[in-house]
Amino acid sequence: MDFINSIPTHMDFDGQARAEKYSRVIITLFGAVGIIWGYIIQQFSQTVYILAAGFLLAAILTIPPWPIYRKRALHWQKARSSDSVEHSKKKKK
Amino acid sequence: MHSVLQRGNAILAYALSVLAFLTFLCFASTVFLDYRTHAEMNTVKVVVKNVPDYSASREKNDLGFLTFDLQTDLSHLFNWNVKQLFLYLTAEYETPSNQLNQVVLWDKIIQRGENSVLDFKNMNTKYYFWDDGNGLKGNKNVTLTLSWNIIPNAGLLPNIFSYGSHSFKFPVEYTTSRM
Repeated sequence: MDFINSIPTHMDFDGQARAEKYSRVIITLFGAVGIIWGYIIQQFSQTVYILAAGFLLAAILTIPPWPIYRKRALHWQKARSSDSVEHSKKKKK
Repeated sequence: MHSVLQRGNAILAYALSVLAFLTFLCFASTVFLDYRTHAEMNTVKVVVKNVPDYSASREKNDLGFLTFDLQTDLSHLFNWNVKQLFLYLTAEYETPSNQLNQVVLWDKIIQRGENSVLDFKNMNTKYYFWDDGNGLKGNKNVTLTLSWNIIPNAGLLPNIFSYGSHSFKFPVEYTTSRM
C-alpha cells in the first residue's frame, strides 16, 4: 500500500496547462492531416483512423502525470504562525 | 486540480468534437456536387397478361412482362461521402383511373468498390409489373426511368434521376400462352 501511495500522480499547475495545450495541438494537427489525406485519397475512413491515432498519442503523452509536468511546482508562501494570522485579521477589522 | 480521469475526459471530448467537425467538412465538400448522369435503357420483349392478382383483389388485373437493356457508367459518382448507391428502375404511365402510376420494376445496390459500369442485356424485372386494373393493355406511353438513392457517410440522402429514359407501348392483345 505504501508503494502504491508513493507513486506520484499529480501534475503541477503549469504542467496541467501544458498537458492540455499539447493534447489540443496534437489532436488538431492529426485531424487536419487526416482530412487532407482523406480528401486526397477520397477515403473518409482514413481521416477517422488518423484522428484516432492522434487521440491515442495525445492520451499517452498527456493523461499520465509524466515527470515533465512536475517541474515547475508553485512556490507557496510559507505559512505564517497562527499568532500573526490572528493579528492581521484583527487589523483588518 | 485536474486528475487523470478529468484529463482523459477532456481530450476524448475534444477528439470527438474534432471528428464531428471533420465529418461536417466531408459533408460540405460533397453537398453541392451534381450526381446526375446519363443512362440508356431499352425494352426487348414486352407482353401483357390478364391474370388474377391473388395478392390484392383476386380480380383479373393486367400484369406486364418485359425484359430490358441498361447501359450506364456510374463510377464517377463515388467519392469519399458515398458508401453505396441504390439504383431503381421505375415505370411511369397514365391510365384512365390514375393520372400517374409508378411501379418499381428492378433495383440494385452498388457498394463503393464494386463494378459500377453497368451493361445489362435482356434483363428480367425483379418485381411484378401489376396494374391496379386494366391499364396496361394497349397503353401507348409507358416510360422507364432510372433513379438512384445515394447513401452517404454524412449528410443528405438524395434521390437522383438519370438523364435519359425510354418510352414503349404495350401490345393491344393479351398473351395467354405460358412464357
